[in-house]
Amino acid sequence: MQFLRNLIEKQRKLYHAPDAKLHKIWPLMDAGETFLFNPDSKTPDQGPQVRDYVDMKRVMMTVIFALVPCLLWSIWNTGAQHFAAIASMGAAEGYVAGWMQGLIFGDGYAPLGTATDIIVFGLQQMLPIIFVSYFVGLNIEALFAVWRKEEVSEGYLVSGLLIALIVPPSIPLWQLALSVAFSVILVKEVFGGTGMNVFNVALMSRAFLFFAYPAQISGDFVWVAGNGPTKLIDGYSAPTPLALGSAYQVPEEAAKDVSSYLHESFSWSDMFFGSIPGSAGEMSVLCILLGAALLIITGIGSWRTMLAGVIGIFVGAAILNLFDYSGLYSLSAMDHLVMGGFMFGIVFMATDPVTCPETTKGKWIYGLLIGILAALVRVVNPAYPEGTMLAILLMNAFAPTIDYFVTQANVRRRRKRLG
Amino acid sequence: MIALMLAQAPDPNSLAGLTGLAMKAIFVENILLAFFLGMCSYLAVSKRVDTALGLGAAVIFVLTITVPVNWVIYNFILREGALSWLGMPDTDLTYLGLIFYIAVIAAMVQIVEMAIDKYSQTLYAALGIFLPLIAVNCAILGASLFMQERDYSLAQSTVFGFSSGIGWALAIISMAAIRQKLRTANVPASLRGLGITFIVTGLIAMAFMTFSGIQIK
Repeated sequence: MQFLRNLIEKQRKLYHAPDAKLHKIWPLMDAGETFLFNPDSKTPDQGPQVRDYVDMKRVMMTVIFALVPCLLWSIWNTGAQHFAAIASMGAAEGYVAGWMQGLIFGDGYAPLGTATDIIVFGLQQMLPIIFVSYFVGLNIEALFAVWRKEEVSEGYLVSGLLIALIVPPSIPLWQLALSVAFSVILVKEVFGGTGMNVFNVALMSRAFLFFAYPAQISGDFVWVAGNGPTKLIDGYSAPTPLALGSAYQVPEEAAKDVSSYLHESFSWSDMFFGSIPGSAGEMSVLCILLGAALLIITGIGSWRTMLAGVIGIFVGAAILNLFDYSGLYSLSAMDHLVMGGFMFGIVFMATDPVTCPETTKGKWIYGLLIGILAALVRVVNPAYPEGTMLAILLMNAFAPTIDYFVTQANVRRRRKRLG
Repeated sequence: MIALMLAQAPDPNSLAGLTGLAMKAIFVENILLAFFLGMCSYLAVSKRVDTALGLGAAVIFVLTITVPVNWVIYNFILREGALSWLGMPDTDLTYLGLIFYIAVIAAMVQIVEMAIDKYSQTLYAALGIFLPLIAVNCAILGASLFMQERDYSLAQSTVFGFSSGIGWALAIISMAAIRQKLRTANVPASLRGLGITFIVTGLIAMAFMTFSGIQIK
């Protein structure tokens, strides 16, 4: 440690003083330094400012820790789905190892679908996604920091991981890079960087992908990752539960219950534990609940938003169940809860403290509307199988409005009380 | 009723049909965020929520009046064969539509302006030049032209005018709230003002695509 410390101290005189040689890129040096050590300049003990150990770096790191279960599950499930697909196609012959499999197992690798195989494949698929997301995003952040002469902010650490977890594991990396660049520049940096954005950065990048390259992010063929160059399982159809549900046509004589039809393919516990095809990290409700517990205990995610969202989806499902309708209309609220990305969205995206309303009452309204809208879009809008992403983005757009009206109501009430 | 709206095409003039039309005009085909009509006053008067509320209300009022009035003019004076009650069944005055519609809109805006001037001086001052400019707000003329093109009935055009106004007001209010929040944001100097507003408009429109694709018959 002392060695590192000395190294940084030595470098510091290269950039710290305003007339130093490398002063132009001091945000980068500073980012490296504060990443490794506590900064030795801190807010003084005297003064009116809030003194708390929970600074932005800690907040962001807590969210990262909360995301770890989902991340681990994304690695496992990506591999598991891949080998399940191979097994079901009976196509283990002619398997060509990817870069990581080649590196670890050597040539002539024949997968058996063991735990090691699964983890190695998952890593092989997920690591490039995470790397590209961070590499592109952090470089753009650093560029803007140098240009603004500000410190590099930690905000993208969370967004970068979130983006990696909400895209399909088979996403082409260049598309991912493009969407990350879009959202970091146009959704975040033009607004002034971390803490100023109006829309959730991770969700906007997914929305960009969704509208720009729908073939790679929707449909039945993208949710299970193929194995690199040979595309052995290319064309393997693995619909997500939501897609399966909305494609369900009720036969004349059968009972109009989509839930029981769905449970023939995916049991409720499958969906709860997350062994289903879907976007990389958002499938396992159990892992999400672990993360949610950490966020709530540390007070970083708002439990009000989360609870309101869950209530909202129950309300939405109840309203839709009222109709004597086929297909997804009759889907029960418990199924709504475990399917698709709703839980992930409401726990990690809707609670984003920058883009959600700041008032307590506003958080309830916001979460409730997200839940109702998500259920509504899933069921009523035939264009999209999943509504969580757009529901949260739409409520992002209205979060300042909700805040405004809640504050105005407060002002009116107080004015009345105080005459 | 929602079930009726979505299941089979209900009678367009029934309650279900009109509710469906209203939902469509507010959310699915929002006149501002899907057609990008009425952008100029949307961009200019969205700095504060209270003025946006005022302008939104004015636009709702003007739209609710002008679309049905223009419907009457179109159906009893302008369209082909409309003048048969005067004994001129072969006359087709459709080409005069734009002028008639604009005249009606201008008259309505005058009325609104006088009313606001009398009852709320602060709002009158805040809206400034943009109040008379509602007369040339393309959202208002656009709604009348949609009415003509889509061949709405009188009930439909009233509902359409009103709910287009609601959709427009919704968009400008959310925009104003966002811009109030952005007042403290460190936006790059070259993007301050209209630049960032255009970007936000694009992003809101993207979020509004939540509803696009919903089939309301």
